[in-house]
Amino acid sequence: MSLLGLSALSVLCASLAVWKGFGPESSWGWGLAVGGAVALAASWVLTRLVCQEQTTLRYLEALVERVEKDFLLPSVHRELPTLSGSPGSLPAVEKLTKAFTQLRARLEELEHHRASLEVRIRRVQSEWQQIYTILTGIPEPLLAINEYGELLWANPPAEALLESETGRDRPVRAQRIKCPKLASLLQNMCERKTAGSRSEEVEWADPKGTVRFYRALVTRLVPSTEQADPGAVSVVALLRDIGDQKALQKRHAEFVSSVSHEMKTPLAGIKAYVELLADGDVEDPETQQEFFQTIAAQVERLQRLVENLLNLARIEAGVVQVRKQAHSLNEILEEAFRVVQPAAEAKQIRLEADLSQLYLNVYVDRDLLLQAAINLLSNAVKYTPAGGRVTLRSRLEDQYAQFEVEDTGVGLSQEDCQRVFEKFYRVHKDAHMASGTGLGLPLAKHIVEDVHGGSIAVESQLGVGSTFRVRLPLLSRSWDSRAPTPETAEPASAGTPA
Amino acid sequence: MPKRVLLCDDEIAILRAAEFKLKKAGYEVQMASDGQAGWELIQRSGVDMVITDCQMPRMSGLQLVERIRSEPALQQLPIVMLTAKGFELRPEELAAKWNVLAVLPKPFSPRELLQLVDRVLGNGPPPGLPGMPTSACLAGSADGGPKPDLNSFSPLETS
Repeated sequence: MSLLGLSALSVLCASLAVWKGFGPESSWGWGLAVGGAVALAASWVLTRLVCQEQTTLRYLEALVERVEKDFLLPSVHRELPTLSGSPGSLPAVEKLTKAFTQLRARLEELEHHRASLEVRIRRVQSEWQQIYTILTGIPEPLLAINEYGELLWANPPAEALLESETGRDRPVRAQRIKCPKLASLLQNMCERKTAGSRSEEVEWADPKGTVRFYRALVTRLVPSTEQADPGAVSVVALLRDIGDQKALQKRHAEFVSSVSHEMKTPLAGIKAYVELLADGDVEDPETQQEFFQTIAAQVERLQRLVENLLNLARIEAGVVQVRKQAHSLNEILEEAFRVVQPAAEAKQIRLEADLSQLYLNVYVDRDLLLQAAINLLSNAVKYTPAGGRVTLRSRLEDQYAQFEVEDTGVGLSQEDCQRVFEKFYRVHKDAHMASGTGLGLPLAKHIVEDVHGGSIAVESQLGVGSTFRVRLPLLSRSWDSRAPTPETAEPASAGTPA
Repeated sequence: MPKRVLLCDDEIAILRAAEFKLKKAGYEVQMASDGQAGWELIQRSGVDMVITDCQMPRMSGLQLVERIRSEPALQQLPIVMLTAKGFELRPEELAAKWNVLAVLPKPFSPRELLQLVDRVLGNGPPPGLPGMPTSACLAGSADGGPKPDLNSFSPLETS
């Protein structure tokens, strides 16, 4: 500006000098003066334009820097700066400034939206992961299929069942599942138009070929109007393993059959003899007497069976009245021996007692322990063929009073030894040999272990025989005395040692 | 000569009651406490009819029936089974497979047992008359066997 001012001033001075020197009349001088003035004006305009362009460029450069800094790099400035001497009056720059400001606001909005979406995605991912963990963790087979009957998803147990029959090919169609009942159930539910569930028992072979029992709960999901995609999940099937339940039902049925068989046998005797007597078939008084005695024996047998059942039920339900007192173990064993002897004789089995000479003082419920001993002896007699031998022994072992029942019967396999105390369990190969409720040994175990804190075990060899051994805690260390200890003695029944 | 009936049961009381009733009616009764002893008696002395329990030591009733039917000469020997079992035994199957005449459920009536024996061995009233056993489940017979005509007998479970 100063340069332009000076040049204008010099042109003006020169013009004045010319005008003074040449006079106003000189036309040449005038022309020169006018030319100078025009040149001066033109140079001023040009200079002004150039300056303006330079300022705009500088502003734009600064603006670009700001854009780089504020939009491309993390933004820290909220407003665009005002440059000194900015040509704010230029409309293009103004528009540009406004557009950039709006753009940055929009970008910031989008950035905010993106961040919130990311948070939601993470949350959904975490929820899905949780649901997936739960679904895959369900130990029972779970399947999801679409309306076309195509398998969409299966948890690992279901995969195992499917793979065992179809390999890894996908999609598996519901109709191809090699469990016809389930396949048809799934198909029906796929065709159904309304939501709902159906449940049926099905059998399906596992990868090892073992048939397993399931209760299939098949649910048709509501097909919403918006979700018209037939490829989406439309039927879900959950298969609950009911193998244990089935086994229990079977065992229960066997138990009921066993109990009824056991009851019918003495009843048969009672009915037959009562009828013979009532029909007047028996005239001889001696035979009459014999028949009456047989009836009484059968009634007693029936009563024992019922007591066995009730005692087991009571012990299991925890309502048994246990009346423990000091008793001589040998005395209880002797009584059990007497009860079982007739059955052994009838079967021509030699029943022997080898009881300790020591007074084995035990603190027990006499009736319950007697029951356990009778059960063990009866069991031995049942599973010993005619001509065999059953031995009842008692001993002192450390701080325990021990008794055992040894037979020369059919013996037990290793598996049977482990399971013989299970309720309702009967050794299958011997089921034809003797009738039983499958309750005698479980009851004996309950009585010995749960009621008296003792232990029961079996040793056996197939075809040779079995030994059932019972250990009971001794009441006191005065085992070498023939009298019970005063504080635990039961006054009248402190028994006679063997 | 009296007809000879074999009774097989491991319950002495049952054997004794049935023996008493049949003997009184004039039959000769052989008794065995298991299937094996029964089979030995059949071989040794021969019998006209077998009445056997199912569950017995050594040899069960079913095994005894199987053994009897494995002998060509004993295909037509009348067999009646006594049982305290509930639903395990199927009289129709026993008839079809082993030509078992009837399954008599326990508790049984000695009177009805005698009537059945009379009928089978030809000493009883003609078929269809009142007084027939009511608790036996007549099983029908296999090919060639005497056809049972006691269709009025009630099924196993009703007694």
